[in-house]
Amino acid sequence: MRALVIDDSRAMRRIVGGTLEGFGYETRQAGHGQEALDVLHEGWLPEVCTIDWNMPVMDGLQFVSTVRANPAWRAVTLVMVTSESEHGQIVRALAAGAHEYVIKPFTADALRDKFALLGLLPQEAAL
Amino acid sequence: MTTPVITALLDGSTIQEIAEQAWSALVGEEEVLVPLPGELPAATLSSWVGIAGPWTGSVVLTCGTDTAEQLTRALLREHAPEELDAEDVSDALGELANVVGGNVKAVLPGPAALGLPEVGTPPAAGQPADTLRVDALWRGQPLSITVQGALGPPHTPASDIEEENEVPL
Repeated sequence: MRALVIDDSRAMRRIVGGTLEGFGYETRQAGHGQEALDVLHEGWLPEVCTIDWNMPVMDGLQFVSTVRANPAWRAVTLVMVTSESEHGQIVRALAAGAHEYVIKPFTADALRDKFALLGLLPQEAAL
Repeated sequence: MTTPVITALLDGSTIQEIAEQAWSALVGEEEVLVPLPGELPAATLSSWVGIAGPWTGSVVLTCGTDTAEQLTRALLREHAPEELDAEDVSDALGELANVVGGNVKAVLPGPAALGLPEVGTPPAAGQPADTLRVDALWRGQPLSITVQGALGPPHTPASDIEEENEVPL
């Protein structure tokens, strides 16, 4: 399974990427939404994208809207991973097409629980 | 109507609680922020995020450069490179400010926008009443988290001016 980790923080990309690799994912990373779109246009289609909200060039919400507008990418699950924690922001992200929302700070266990809920945890990682 | 100052919106214990949650989840479950003041060393590093909304200002994290390096290693854990470079440290400290700042924004009146994290010399603080500083020790080393209003007098939003100038029907 593939995951694309989108965050302008290199530290956060390493943490989220490393956690997902621990779940059994093959990962790639992007520093903002446009860089992530470039990866998708290359044809590297992940099962899931984890997306920060506040990023330069293209933010997470714009990325979600762009992905949802493309039928070829309909199967990609979009999980916001962000410090934007107000209810209104969560509603905006879900309305734009995100499937789940993880608020920073989070633990590896919280991420595992969200992935399990989405049915995105490879069986061996779920044990 | 003027914008309220931060001390009317938040207290130090809320900031401490937000910081403790960030530390526990990001730096390590066993990592404790002790709410005690300490003297910051001469060489410090600051990271901050701006908040723009009914209250406008910044959330600034400041610690010694050695502490910043240790925080980076703790944050990255097994994902840390053997040799940390300056960008690793700036990035990690920026992300800590981002997480604390995002959660501070959530308890302030909205709607408000969160800026991207920055590292370096923080913006000048506004009036003392619009500044709230929490000092803490992490592994015995001092750090501070300051929620500070933007420099200048509290502004009066245009919408309020229009309201005040409206002629009652």
